[in-house]
Amino acid sequence: MKDRSDVLQGTLDMLVLRAVQLEPMHGWGIAERIEQWSEQVLQLGQGTLYPGLYRLERQNFIRSEWRITDKNRRARYYSLTASGRRYLTESLAQWRRVSRAINLVLDVTTVN
Amino acid sequence: MGALADGWRRLRSLGRRRELEDRLDDEIRFHVEHQIEKNQRAGMTPAEARRLAMIRFGGVEQTRERTRDEFRAAPLEHLARDVRYGLRSLRRHPGFTAMAVLSLAIGIGANTAIFGVAYAVLFRQSPLADPETLVNIYESPSNPMSYPNIEDLRRGTTHVFSGIAASAFAVTQIDRGGTAATVMGEAVTGGAFALLGVEPQLGRAIQPQDDVSRGGHPVVMLSHGYWQRAFGGDPQVVGRTLQMGRRGYTIIGVAPAVYRGGLPAITPAFFVPMTMLDELMGIEMLDRRFNHSMLVKARLAPGVTRVQAEHAASLVAASLSTARPEGWIAGERFELVPTSEVQVVPGIDPLLRAAAWLLITVVGLVLLLACTNLASFLVARAVDRGQEIAVRRALGASRGALARQVLVESALLGLGGAVAGLVLAFALLDLLLSIDLPLPYGMRLDLHFGLGWPTLLDWRVLAFTAGAGVMAGIFLGLLPAVHGTRADLGLALKAGGKGSDAPGPLRWRNVMVVAQIAMSLVLLVGAGLFLRSWQQTLAVDPGFGRTPTSILSVIMPATRSAPDAAVQRTRRLLERFRALPGATAVGLVWPLPLELSSSQTDFTIDGRKPPAGRETFRASRATADGGYFDAAGMTIVAGRTFNDDDRRDSQPVALISQAMARRYWPDGDALGRILRRPDPGEEDLLIVGVVSDVNVRSLGEAPRDLVYQSYTQGEPLPGASFLVRTAIDPARMALALVSTGQQVDPDLRVMQAMSMTQHLATARLPSQIGAFLLAAFAVLGAALAAIGVYGTVRYTVAMRTREVGIRMALGADAASVARLLASRGLRLVLLGGVIGVAISLIAARLLATLLFGVGTFDPVALAGAPLVLGVAAWVAAYLPAWRASRADPLAALRAD
Repeated sequence: MKDRSDVLQGTLDMLVLRAVQLEPMHGWGIAERIEQWSEQVLQLGQGTLYPGLYRLERQNFIRSEWRITDKNRRARYYSLTASGRRYLTESLAQWRRVSRAINLVLDVTTVN
Repeated sequence: MGALADGWRRLRSLGRRRELEDRLDDEIRFHVEHQIEKNQRAGMTPAEARRLAMIRFGGVEQTRERTRDEFRAAPLEHLARDVRYGLRSLRRHPGFTAMAVLSLAIGIGANTAIFGVAYAVLFRQSPLADPETLVNIYESPSNPMSYPNIEDLRRGTTHVFSGIAASAFAVTQIDRGGTAATVMGEAVTGGAFALLGVEPQLGRAIQPQDDVSRGGHPVVMLSHGYWQRAFGGDPQVVGRTLQMGRRGYTIIGVAPAVYRGGLPAITPAFFVPMTMLDELMGIEMLDRRFNHSMLVKARLAPGVTRVQAEHAASLVAASLSTARPEGWIAGERFELVPTSEVQVVPGIDPLLRAAAWLLITVVGLVLLLACTNLASFLVARAVDRGQEIAVRRALGASRGALARQVLVESALLGLGGAVAGLVLAFALLDLLLSIDLPLPYGMRLDLHFGLGWPTLLDWRVLAFTAGAGVMAGIFLGLLPAVHGTRADLGLALKAGGKGSDAPGPLRWRNVMVVAQIAMSLVLLVGAGLFLRSWQQTLAVDPGFGRTPTSILSVIMPATRSAPDAAVQRTRRLLERFRALPGATAVGLVWPLPLELSSSQTDFTIDGRKPPAGRETFRASRATADGGYFDAAGMTIVAGRTFNDDDRRDSQPVALISQAMARRYWPDGDALGRILRRPDPGEEDLLIVGVVSDVNVRSLGEAPRDLVYQSYTQGEPLPGASFLVRTAIDPARMALALVSTGQQVDPDLRVMQAMSMTQHLATARLPSQIGAFLLAAFAVLGAALAAIGVYGTVRYTVAMRTREVGIRMALGADAASVARLLASRGLRLVLLGGVIGVAISLIAARLLATLLFGVGTFDPVALAGAPLVLGVAAWVAAYLPAWRASRADPLAALRAD
C-alpha cells in the first residue's frame, strides 16, 4: 500500500475546482476523481469534501443543480463558474510558483 | 425595536436551513450508497461494503455539523443564539442590569433631551418654501427695521425682490369671557404667509387684501400653540370672534405647528395684519421712522443674487440718507443675511450656538462617564467570569465567538439604555418645558411647537439616540471583549477567578478611573465657573431697585393729538399711586431699564466733534418723571430732578447719567450745557441734572451715556412703567397698583405687574439657567465618577479578601488595612485630578464669552471643584475598604 497523505489545508479547494473544471460532477465523483488522479496517494476523508463544496458555492466559485445520473438516480452536480475558473487559474499559478520554490530549496539541501 | 424584521429574518433563515439540510442529507446518502455499490462490485459482502464505505466517508454527523456552519444563515443564527444567551445572563444579574441600563439611560436621556432642545432652537429652520432664495434684512448693525424704511426699501427694490415680508411683535390683552390675559402676538404684512410659503393648518392665512387700510381688518390667525392652549385645538374655531384690546377680531385660520413666526424660539400666540398694529397696541408704531421693531424677510427675484440685491438696497439707503436725513443716520446701510444662516438674530446667534455646543459637550461628557463606569464594571464581570470563559475556551469555543458574545451582551445593554433613555428624555423635556421662566408679557419660550412626542420622533433626534446607544454599547463591550477573553487558560482555571492582584483588565480599569476623575473634574470646574458667574450677577448692583419695589408696566392709550391730556392722565395715576398706603416713593419711567426695549437719541454738543464718519453723538434715552430717581433708589449727583415747572411750553430739560457727564464734561461742568438734536421732531435739551448710573441693557455692563427727558415734555409715551418703592410686600403692592390703575383709567392696558425682584430675576435668567443646568450635569458626572471609584476599590478589595484575612490574622489593625486598600483608588483619583485641572485650565478659556464677571482662572472654582470631587472620591474609596477591614479574618480566609 502506498503512503496516503492528508490533503494539505487549502489545496483541497484547488483540487475540487480542478475536478469539476472538465465536466459537472457530483460529490462522490469528485472524491473518486481526486483519488484516481493522485494514484490513490491523496485520499480524502470523503465527508470533509462537503463543507468545502458548500463554502465554494457560497463564494460563487461553483454552482450546483440536481441532475439524473446515467443509472437514473438523482444527484447534486457541481460545475465551475466563470469566477471559479479565474480563481483556479490564479491558484494554480500560485501553487506552481510556491512548489517550484520549495523544490529548489529541497534540491539544494539534498545535494549538500 | 425591529422585533418584526428580526423575526422575519429568522423565519426565512429557518426555512432556508431546512431546505439546505435536506439537500445535504440527500447528497450524503447518495454518496455513501454510491460507495457501497462500488465496494460490492469489487466483491465485498453487503455488510463489509457498507462498513468500509462509512469509514471512507468519515463521521456523518461531523460532516453535517461542519457543513451547516457554511450555510449562509449561520451568522444570523449565531447572533440569535448570542442574543438569547445575553438576555438570559442579564436576567440572571438583575441588579447589575438595572444599574447598567439606568446609568446609560441617564446619560442617553440627558443627551437626547439637550440635543432635542438645541436642535429645535438652533439647528432647525422653519419650514419656509425655497429657503435658499430668502434673505433677512436688517438696518446695520443687525437692527430690526422701521415700517417707513421698509416701505421705501420695497419701492426701491421691486426689481431684485419678488416680495418683502415684515413682522413686529404686538402685545395686547385678550379677553376670553372674563379672563383677560396679556398675550404676545405678531403683526405681519399681508403677503408674508404667501411669500414664506406657509400654509395654514386650518382656515386661511392672512392675505394681502387683509392688509390694506389702517385699522380696517380686524382678523386674526392663531398660532398652533395658542390654538391648543386656549381653544383645546377646537376645529370649529374659524369664524369665531376673539376680543383683543377693545375690538373683536374674527378668527380666520390657524398657523401650522412648525411655523414659529419672525423670531424663532419666541412663538407668537396670534398673527394680525400689519395695518392693525397701531390700533391693537394703542400706540403709533407704523409711522415712526425711528421705531426699529420690524423683522424683515425678502425673497430674491428669480436669477437675482444676494450681492445684486445688496447693491440695490444700498442705493435705497444712499437716497434715504439724502432725502430723509432725519430718519437715516449717515453710514447706516441695509444688511442682507441669508435666512438659512440666521437662527434667531445675527447679533446673538454666536452666543446661542456657543451655549448649545457647550451643553452638548457637557451632556456628551456625562454620557462618556456613564459608559466608562459601565465598561469598567463589565471588565470586572469578565474577570469574574474568567473561569467560565476559560472552561468554554478549553471546550473549544473560539476567542472570537466569546468576544462576540460579550459584545452582544453589552449591545443589548446599550439598546436597553437607549430605549429607557428615550423615555427619560421625554420626561426631562416635559420638565424643562414646564419650568415657568420669568419672561415678560406672558411670553413663552414656545418650544412646544414640536417637542412633544411627535416632533421628538423626528428621525434626526431618534438617530441620535440610537447612535448614542449603539456607540455606548460597542464602547462598553470592546474592552471586556478583548481583555476578558484573553485570559491565560491554565491560570484562570486554577485561580478560580480570584487572583490576588491586578491582571491586564484591571490596568484598564485604572485608566478608566483616572479618565473619569479627569472628565468629571472638568465638568465641575465648568459648573463652578458658571455658578460663580451667576453669583457675580447676583452681586451686581444694577444701580436701581435695591429696596423692595413694585413695578406696573402699562401701555398708554394713544393720544398723540392731545399730548396734554396724556400728561394729565399720567399725573393722575402718579398721584393716586402716591396716596396708596405703604407707598414710600413713586415714579415712572419708559423704557424700564433691563427690559427688552430700549430707546436712543442723537445729539451734538457745541465745541465737540462727533466720531469720524458720523454727524452726531448717540446715547440711550429714557423718559421719566421727577419722582422716578428716588423711587428707583438712584441719587441725584448734581443739579435737580424734573419738577412741575418743566412743562410743554417751558425750556425742554434733560438729566444725564454720571457716565455721560464724565465723558463729555470731565471737569464737572455739565449743568447748563445744551444737547442739540438734529431730528426735527426733537427739541434741544438743557442739562439740569446728573444722576447715578444704572444698567440699561444688561447686568454689569459698562455705564452708558443716558439721557432722561421729562414725560411732561416731548412726545407722549407709548408705554410706562410705574415704580413704587414700598414698605409692604411688593407683590401685594403690585396687585394694588393694577386695581387702582384700572379704577383711575378704565382704558389702562396693563402689560405686567411685578416686583423689582422678579424683574431683576428675568435679567439674571440666562446666567442662572446656564449655571444650574451645568451644575446639575456636573454633579451627575461627579456622582458617576464616585461610583466608578467605589466600584474599582470594591472590586480590588474583593480580589484581595484572602490577603486581608492573612494580614489581619497576623495582627494588622483595621485602620491600616483600610488605608492600604483605599490607597490604590486614591492614587488614581490624585492622578485623574491633576490631569483634570490641567484640562480645565485650557477648557475654561473656551468659556470666556459665556462667563460674566469671573476670569477664566477663577481660584474659587479651580480649588472648589477638586475639593468636592476629592471628598466624594475619598468616601467612595474608603467605604468598601473600611467595610472589608471590619470583616472577620477567619471568614475572609475561608472565603472561596
